[in-house]
Amino acid sequence: MADNEVVPFPIDPSAHLKSIAAEVSQASAQYQCTAVQRFLLTLRIGVVIIVSLYLLALLITPYDPNNADFLSRLQPPSLSHWFGTDHLGRDVATRVLYGASWSVGLAFVISTTGALFGICVGLCAGAGPKWLDQWLMRGTDSFFAFPELVAAIAIAGILGPSTVNMVLALTMVSWMRYARLTRTLTQELSQKDFVLQARLAQLPQRLIFWRHYLANLKLALLVLWSSLWSRTILSISGLSFLGFGVQPPHAEWGAMLVDAKAYMTSAPHLMIFPGLAVLITVLTLNLLGDQLHDHLQGTNEH
Amino acid sequence: MKVNAPKLKNTGLNLVLKMAQRLFALAAVMLGVSLLTFMLYYFAPGDKALAIGQARYGGEGDVQREVIAMIRQEYGLDQPFFQQFMHWLTPFLQGDMGRSLVSQEKVWQIVLPNLYETLALAGIALVFGLALAFALSVISVRRPGSNADRIAVAFASVGAAIPSYWLGLLLILLFAVQLQWLPAYGSASFVHMILPATCLGLSVTTSQTRLLRSFLLEAQRAPFLEALRLRGVSEQEIFWRHNLRHALPPAMTMLGIEIASLLEGAVIVEVIFSRNGIGSLFVSSVMSRDYPLVMFLVLFSAFSYVLINTLIELFQEGLNPIKHDNRVLL
Repeated sequence: MADNEVVPFPIDPSAHLKSIAAEVSQASAQYQCTAVQRFLLTLRIGVVIIVSLYLLALLITPYDPNNADFLSRLQPPSLSHWFGTDHLGRDVATRVLYGASWSVGLAFVISTTGALFGICVGLCAGAGPKWLDQWLMRGTDSFFAFPELVAAIAIAGILGPSTVNMVLALTMVSWMRYARLTRTLTQELSQKDFVLQARLAQLPQRLIFWRHYLANLKLALLVLWSSLWSRTILSISGLSFLGFGVQPPHAEWGAMLVDAKAYMTSAPHLMIFPGLAVLITVLTLNLLGDQLHDHLQGTNEH
Repeated sequence: MKVNAPKLKNTGLNLVLKMAQRLFALAAVMLGVSLLTFMLYYFAPGDKALAIGQARYGGEGDVQREVIAMIRQEYGLDQPFFQQFMHWLTPFLQGDMGRSLVSQEKVWQIVLPNLYETLALAGIALVFGLALAFALSVISVRRPGSNADRIAVAFASVGAAIPSYWLGLLLILLFAVQLQWLPAYGSASFVHMILPATCLGLSVTTSQTRLLRSFLLEAQRAPFLEALRLRGVSEQEIFWRHNLRHALPPAMTMLGIEIASLLEGAVIVEVIFSRNGIGSLFVSSVMSRDYPLVMFLVLFSAFSYVLINTLIELFQEGLNPIKHDNRVLL
């Protein structure tokens, strides 16, 4: 659990002189964080279980997501094809399964890259000199002024529709929230005594960033990250649906819906399952994010 | 910093200063937005002169070298970055939006009729969505924790996770294909607008219901309500005159964000239902790399987003005069 510990009273230079006091404060800190820690532990176990179930499903499925079988085209759901087959005879259930790695994996890449960039910008703006703050925040505001999907379509479309360009486009429209949140919280933290003390004790800058800023930003950023992750999944499948993202032969949920649209009257099951997959994934992530948010608020009220 | 922050008094000079600061921030953001939009064009891959030539003379192959040189000159493509930026921005500020590369029509002539379509769709969707959201949240805060409340919250949570393109396809499948009540495609009459407006409106409802509900619940917790009740003010009056008034300012802010997402939603909804409008115009112009049209639409969406948010912020300050922290724009 060490890496998830929140440090409410980070290292005090004179702590070794009052070790007892430090121990007491640490113990109380641990007591305060148990609810969140317990939740994070449950979350981690849940994620491990879901991921292993998912991998197991990928292993036991007898079909290949891109293997066409023209003898069994557009079949309704049956025992051999749980979600039916599409216009090329590919097994929809297998494709939906593989689609999860596209959506969730790409969303992970996008939101993590965006978060890293945004946190860097936010830290520089929040802890740096005033002129840098002004410039960075005007830049962030300018990026923020574009409606996300419009900017993403423009970037991905003009660079040329492909998966890489979509990732680039969605990263470019997603970092601003992290930057703003990090900046606000960093500015608040800069006023705190322990940061001042660390500065006076001439702790190296990277230590201050790592131990004092990031350690205290972690949970808030985690909440934002989890909520943006589900948004990103919606954006990915939306862009793919419009033709600016993952291109059709690949089994991505949005791309599958493009194919399904043409067979709406004859084979509605093609349309139902990929959409349900998006719905369930996004709903799960949203609910998890809400839980995390509630737990975080709980700890703040202590 | 809570330490003795000097309080700005609402004297005339301070008000002017505040407005000037706000205008300056607005101008800075608009300049940044234009610069970013231009960079999108500047860093676009491929030879732009060739693309323009091909679009103009309707061919896929090579364009004569003299013509390319002429186009370079015309669009200032041989100049350095900043000159090109000014070359693009100056006519823009003078009201000349340029011509579409594909149809050679003036940009505003293409955009204007489409804009009306989108505004009509978004307006109806917004009214429908907000009305439904309002009704749901009022029902759910009547008795928090009751079944009606749970259903409303579940509806909103599930709705927020439904991808709008899928919802659109489901609506088409149900009402146009299975029941055959409503037409699915096109934008000929009002009947054609029902399905897309429902699709767009439901996305408004799902995002607004939970927010409105939490704002109303927060307003219900205000301690002065108890005093009002003791004085014999009726529950009806407390709700309409006090709760609602305290829930409105935060709801207004969310509305600003909602309008931006309406624009985003319109892109997808118009494509699904094959409607005319700036959303589908945008997608088709990106597909054909019609740069003047794409840049205008991107800039237009960003400017309207910024303007709407500024207006809402001003309006909010009017509603709530106690707030005296001088916030910077956005």
